[in-house]
Amino acid sequence: MAEPTTAGRPFDAEALPHLDALYRVALRLTGDPTQAEDLVQDTMLKAYRSWRQYRPGTNAKGWLLTILRNTFINDYRRRKLEPVATDLEAIEPHAIYRRVEDVDPEGTFFSQIVDEKVLEAVDALPPEFREVLVLSDMEGLSYAEIAESLAIPVGTVKSRLFRGRRLLQTALYQYAVETGIIPAREAPMGQSDG
Amino acid sequence: MGDSINCREAHARLHDFLKRELTPELAAEVEAHLEHCRPCFREAAFEERFLLMLREKAAGTCCPDRVKARIVAALHAEFQAEDG
Repeated sequence: MAEPTTAGRPFDAEALPHLDALYRVALRLTGDPTQAEDLVQDTMLKAYRSWRQYRPGTNAKGWLLTILRNTFINDYRRRKLEPVATDLEAIEPHAIYRRVEDVDPEGTFFSQIVDEKVLEAVDALPPEFREVLVLSDMEGLSYAEIAESLAIPVGTVKSRLFRGRRLLQTALYQYAVETGIIPAREAPMGQSDG
Repeated sequence: MGDSINCREAHARLHDFLKRELTPELAAEVEAHLEHCRPCFREAAFEERFLLMLREKAAGTCCPDRVKARIVAALHAEFQAEDG
Protein backbone atom coordinates (compact mmCIF):
# COMPACT_ATOMS: atom_id res chain seq x y z
CA MET A 1 0.00 0.00 0.00
CA ALA A 2 1.56 3.29 -1.13
CA GLU A 3 1.54 5.86 1.63
CA PRO A 4 0.64 9.38 0.57
CA THR A 5 3.62 11.62 0.03
CA THR A 6 4.06 14.33 2.60
CA ALA A 7 5.58 17.74 2.21
CA GLY A 8 7.66 17.22 5.34
CA ARG A 9 5.14 19.06 7.47
CA PRO A 10 4.79 17.89 11.08
CA PHE A 11 1.05 17.56 10.64
CA ASP A 12 1.47 15.14 7.75
CA ALA A 13 3.96 13.03 9.65
CA GLU A 14 1.72 12.82 12.72
CA ALA A 15 -1.70 12.49 11.11
CA LEU A 16 -1.41 10.69 7.76
CA PRO A 17 -0.28 7.34 9.25
CA HIS A 18 -3.67 7.13 10.96
CA LEU A 19 -5.82 7.42 7.83
CA ASP A 20 -6.55 3.68 7.79
CA ALA A 21 -7.75 3.71 11.40
CA LEU A 22 -9.82 6.86 10.83
CA TYR A 23 -11.42 5.35 7.76
CA ARG A 24 -12.26 2.10 9.56
CA VAL A 25 -13.89 3.91 12.47
CA ALA A 26 -15.72 6.24 10.07
CA LEU A 27 -17.10 3.21 8.23
CA ARG A 28 -18.39 1.69 11.42
CA LEU A 29 -19.93 4.98 12.59
CA THR A 30 -21.60 5.95 9.32
CA GLY A 31 -22.20 2.51 7.84
CA ASP A 32 -21.60 4.03 4.40
CA PRO A 33 -18.32 4.18 2.41
CA THR A 34 -19.07 7.51 0.73
CA GLN A 35 -19.98 9.17 4.02
CA ALA A 36 -16.93 7.60 5.62
CA GLU A 37 -14.67 9.16 2.98
CA ASP A 38 -16.18 12.60 3.53
CA LEU A 39 -16.03 12.21 7.29
CA VAL A 40 -12.31 11.34 7.20
CA GLN A 41 -11.56 14.28 4.94
CA ASP A 42 -13.54 16.70 7.13
CA THR A 43 -11.75 15.29 10.16
CA MET A 44 -8.31 15.81 8.65
CA LEU A 45 -9.09 19.39 7.61
CA LYS A 46 -10.46 20.20 11.07
CA ALA A 47 -7.46 18.56 12.69
CA TYR A 48 -5.10 20.60 10.53
CA ARG A 49 -6.89 23.82 11.46
CA SER A 50 -6.69 23.00 15.16
CA TRP A 51 -3.18 21.59 14.91
CA ARG A 52 -1.87 24.12 17.41
CA GLN A 53 -4.05 22.52 20.08
CA TYR A 54 -2.33 19.19 19.59
CA ARG A 55 0.41 18.52 22.12
CA PRO A 56 3.31 16.81 20.34
CA GLY A 57 4.21 13.47 21.79
CA THR A 58 0.66 12.73 22.95
CA ASN A 59 -1.55 10.21 21.26
CA ALA A 60 -2.23 11.55 17.76
CA LYS A 61 -4.52 8.64 16.92
CA GLY A 62 -6.73 9.28 19.94
CA TRP A 63 -6.77 13.02 19.19
CA LEU A 64 -7.80 12.45 15.57
CA LEU A 65 -10.45 9.89 16.54
CA THR A 66 -11.92 12.39 19.01
CA ILE A 67 -12.24 14.98 16.23
CA LEU A 68 -13.73 12.35 13.95
CA ARG A 69 -16.29 11.30 16.50
CA ASN A 70 -17.30 14.89 17.32
CA THR A 71 -17.56 15.71 13.61
CA PHE A 72 -19.74 12.67 13.11
CA ILE A 73 -22.09 13.63 15.92
CA ASN A 74 -22.34 17.28 14.92
CA ASP A 75 -22.47 17.05 11.15
CA TYR A 76 -23.30 13.51 10.06
CA ARG A 77 -25.68 11.91 12.46
CA ARG A 78 -29.14 12.81 11.32
CA ARG A 79 -30.77 12.58 14.71
CA LYS A 80 -29.51 14.25 17.81
CA LEU A 81 -27.53 12.07 20.14
CA GLU A 82 -30.09 10.19 22.13
CA PRO A 83 -29.24 9.58 25.75
CA VAL A 84 -28.46 5.98 26.52
CA ALA A 85 -31.65 4.33 27.67
CA THR A 86 -31.31 2.93 31.14
CA ASP A 87 -32.52 -0.46 30.03
CA LEU A 88 -29.66 -0.52 27.52
CA GLU A 89 -27.16 -0.19 30.34
CA ALA A 90 -29.01 -2.90 32.21
CA ILE A 91 -28.60 -5.44 29.42
CA GLU A 92 -26.84 -8.53 30.68
CA PRO A 93 -26.29 -10.61 27.58
CA HIS A 94 -25.42 -14.25 27.95
CA ALA A 95 -21.89 -15.50 28.21
CA ILE A 96 -21.47 -17.37 24.97
CA TYR A 97 -18.55 -19.42 26.24
CA ARG A 98 -20.97 -21.37 28.44
CA ARG A 99 -22.95 -22.35 25.35
CA VAL A 100 -20.04 -23.50 23.24
CA GLU A 101 -17.62 -24.96 25.75
CA ASP A 102 -18.74 -28.48 24.88
CA VAL A 103 -18.78 -28.14 21.08
CA ASP A 104 -16.17 -25.45 20.33
CA PRO A 105 -14.32 -24.42 23.47
CA GLU A 106 -11.57 -22.75 21.48
CA GLY A 107 -13.99 -20.47 19.65
CA THR A 108 -12.80 -21.52 16.21
CA PHE A 109 -16.25 -20.60 14.89
CA PHE A 110 -15.40 -16.90 15.25
CA SER A 111 -12.68 -17.17 12.64
CA GLN A 112 -14.88 -19.20 10.29
CA ILE A 113 -17.39 -16.40 9.93
CA VAL A 114 -16.64 -14.26 6.88
CA ASP A 115 -15.43 -10.71 7.47
CA GLU A 116 -18.57 -9.05 6.10
CA LYS A 117 -20.82 -10.93 8.50
CA VAL A 118 -18.68 -9.97 11.49
CA LEU A 119 -18.65 -6.32 10.44
CA GLU A 120 -22.42 -6.41 9.86
CA ALA A 121 -22.86 -7.73 13.38
CA VAL A 122 -20.65 -4.93 14.73
CA ASP A 123 -22.72 -2.38 12.81
CA ALA A 124 -25.91 -3.82 14.30
CA LEU A 125 -24.79 -3.14 17.88
CA PRO A 126 -26.39 -0.22 19.73
CA PRO A 127 -24.28 2.86 18.81
CA GLU A 128 -23.05 3.48 22.36
CA PHE A 129 -21.69 -0.06 22.59
CA ARG A 130 -20.45 -0.14 19.02
CA GLU A 131 -18.21 2.92 19.27
CA VAL A 132 -16.54 1.68 22.45
CA LEU A 133 -16.00 -1.80 21.03
CA VAL A 134 -14.59 -0.45 17.76
CA LEU A 135 -12.18 1.90 19.52
CA SER A 136 -11.06 -0.74 22.01
CA ASP A 137 -11.08 -4.06 20.26
CA MET A 138 -10.60 -3.07 16.64
CA GLU A 139 -8.35 -0.02 17.02
CA GLY A 140 -6.55 -0.84 20.25
CA LEU A 141 -7.25 2.31 22.28
CA SER A 142 -6.91 2.02 26.06
CA TYR A 143 -9.76 2.54 28.51
CA ALA A 144 -8.35 5.96 29.39
CA GLU A 145 -8.02 7.04 25.76
CA ILE A 146 -11.59 5.99 25.00
CA ALA A 147 -12.90 7.71 28.12
CA GLU A 148 -11.19 10.95 27.09
CA SER A 149 -12.31 10.66 23.49
CA LEU A 150 -15.96 10.04 24.34
CA ALA A 151 -15.98 12.23 27.47
CA ILE A 152 -17.40 9.43 29.62
CA PRO A 153 -16.01 7.81 32.80
CA VAL A 154 -13.69 4.81 32.52
CA GLY A 155 -16.27 2.72 34.39
CA THR A 156 -18.81 3.47 31.68
CA VAL A 157 -16.28 2.51 29.00
CA LYS A 158 -15.74 -0.83 30.69
CA SER A 159 -19.41 -1.63 31.19
CA ARG A 160 -20.30 -0.70 27.60
CA LEU A 161 -17.37 -2.70 26.28
CA PHE A 162 -18.34 -5.74 28.34
CA ARG A 163 -21.94 -5.63 27.13
CA GLY A 164 -20.95 -4.83 23.55
CA ARG A 165 -18.66 -7.85 23.42
CA ARG A 166 -21.31 -10.14 24.81
CA LEU A 167 -23.96 -8.86 22.41
CA LEU A 168 -21.55 -9.32 19.51
CA GLN A 169 -20.61 -12.82 20.64
CA THR A 170 -24.29 -13.70 20.93
CA ALA A 171 -25.01 -12.42 17.41
CA LEU A 172 -22.03 -14.32 15.96
CA TYR A 173 -22.99 -17.46 17.84
CA GLN A 174 -26.53 -17.30 16.50
CA TYR A 175 -25.20 -16.78 12.99
CA ALA A 176 -22.82 -19.73 13.39
CA VAL A 177 -25.68 -21.97 14.55
CA GLU A 178 -28.01 -20.81 11.75
CA THR A 179 -25.39 -21.51 9.10
CA GLY A 180 -24.34 -24.84 10.59
CA ILE A 181 -20.81 -23.75 11.52
CA ILE A 182 -21.55 -25.10 14.99
CA PRO A 183 -24.36 -27.43 16.03
CA ALA A 184 -27.28 -25.99 17.97
CA ARG A 185 -27.19 -26.65 21.67
CA GLU A 186 -30.06 -28.64 23.04
CA ALA A 187 -30.60 -26.59 26.17
CA PRO A 188 -32.90 -23.63 25.52
CA MET A 189 -31.42 -20.14 25.44
CA GLY A 190 -31.51 -18.34 28.74
CA GLN A 191 -30.01 -21.02 30.90
CA SER A 192 -26.59 -21.42 32.41
CA ASP A 193 -25.27 -17.92 31.86
CA GLY A 194 -22.03 -17.24 33.58
CA MET B 1 4.32 -16.38 43.69
CA GLY B 2 1.37 -18.34 45.00
CA ASP B 3 -2.04 -18.74 43.50
CA SER B 4 -3.67 -16.22 45.79
CA ILE B 5 -6.87 -15.56 43.86
CA ASN B 6 -9.79 -17.84 43.17
CA CYS B 7 -11.83 -18.44 40.00
CA ARG B 8 -14.32 -15.71 40.81
CA GLU B 9 -11.61 -13.10 41.27
CA ALA B 10 -9.74 -14.24 38.18
CA HIS B 11 -12.97 -14.08 36.18
CA ALA B 12 -13.72 -10.57 37.41
CA ARG B 13 -10.32 -9.41 36.19
CA LEU B 14 -10.28 -11.38 32.93
CA HIS B 15 -11.33 -8.59 30.57
CA ASP B 16 -8.89 -6.09 32.07
CA PHE B 17 -6.21 -8.76 31.94
CA LEU B 18 -6.76 -9.50 28.26
CA LYS B 19 -6.73 -5.79 27.50
CA ARG B 20 -3.41 -5.43 29.37
CA GLU B 21 -4.93 -2.86 31.68
CA LEU B 22 -3.99 -4.51 34.99
CA THR B 23 -1.00 -3.53 37.08
CA PRO B 24 1.86 -6.06 36.77
CA GLU B 25 1.04 -7.38 40.24
CA LEU B 26 -2.65 -7.97 39.51
CA ALA B 27 -1.86 -9.43 36.09
CA ALA B 28 0.67 -11.84 37.64
CA GLU B 29 -2.01 -13.11 40.02
CA VAL B 30 -4.35 -13.80 37.11
CA GLU B 31 -1.57 -15.51 35.17
CA ALA B 32 -0.70 -17.67 38.16
CA HIS B 33 -4.34 -18.70 38.47
CA LEU B 34 -4.69 -19.48 34.76
CA GLU B 35 -1.56 -21.63 34.87
CA HIS B 36 -3.18 -24.22 37.02
CA CYS B 37 -6.90 -23.75 36.56
CA ARG B 38 -7.80 -25.42 33.32
CA PRO B 39 -11.45 -24.23 33.10
CA CYS B 40 -10.40 -20.61 33.59
CA PHE B 41 -7.50 -21.03 31.18
CA ARG B 42 -9.85 -22.35 28.51
CA GLU B 43 -12.32 -19.54 29.00
CA ALA B 44 -9.51 -16.98 28.81
CA ALA B 45 -8.25 -18.58 25.60
CA PHE B 46 -11.77 -18.40 24.15
CA GLU B 47 -12.11 -14.69 24.94
CA GLU B 48 -8.62 -14.03 23.61
CA ARG B 49 -9.48 -15.77 20.36
CA PHE B 50 -12.57 -13.59 20.00
CA LEU B 51 -10.49 -10.43 20.48
CA LEU B 52 -7.83 -11.64 18.07
CA MET B 53 -10.51 -12.32 15.48
CA LEU B 54 -11.85 -8.76 15.86
CA ARG B 55 -8.39 -7.26 15.38
CA GLU B 56 -7.89 -9.38 12.28
CA LYS B 57 -11.23 -8.40 10.78
CA ALA B 58 -10.45 -4.73 11.44
CA ALA B 59 -7.00 -4.94 9.87
CA GLY B 60 -8.56 -6.18 6.64
CA THR B 61 -10.00 -2.73 5.91
CA CYS B 62 -7.78 0.11 4.71
CA CYS B 63 -8.51 3.62 3.56
CA PRO B 64 -8.54 3.34 -0.27
CA ASP B 65 -5.54 4.97 -2.02
CA ARG B 66 -7.94 7.10 -4.05
CA VAL B 67 -9.35 8.55 -0.82
CA LYS B 68 -5.90 9.10 0.68
CA ALA B 69 -4.83 10.99 -2.44
CA ARG B 70 -7.97 13.12 -2.29
CA ILE B 71 -7.36 13.99 1.37
CA VAL B 72 -3.69 14.82 0.80
CA ALA B 73 -4.74 17.11 -2.06
CA ALA B 74 -7.33 18.82 0.13
CA LEU B 75 -4.73 19.32 2.86
CA HIS B 76 -2.22 20.77 0.43
CA ALA B 77 -4.83 23.20 -0.86
CA GLU B 78 -5.31 24.22 2.76
CA PHE B 79 -1.52 24.60 3.27
CA GLN B 80 -1.26 26.82 0.20
CA ALA B 81 -4.22 28.95 1.18
CA GLU B 82 -2.49 29.49 4.50
CA ASP B 83 0.89 30.30 2.97
CA GLY B 84 -0.55 32.57 0.31
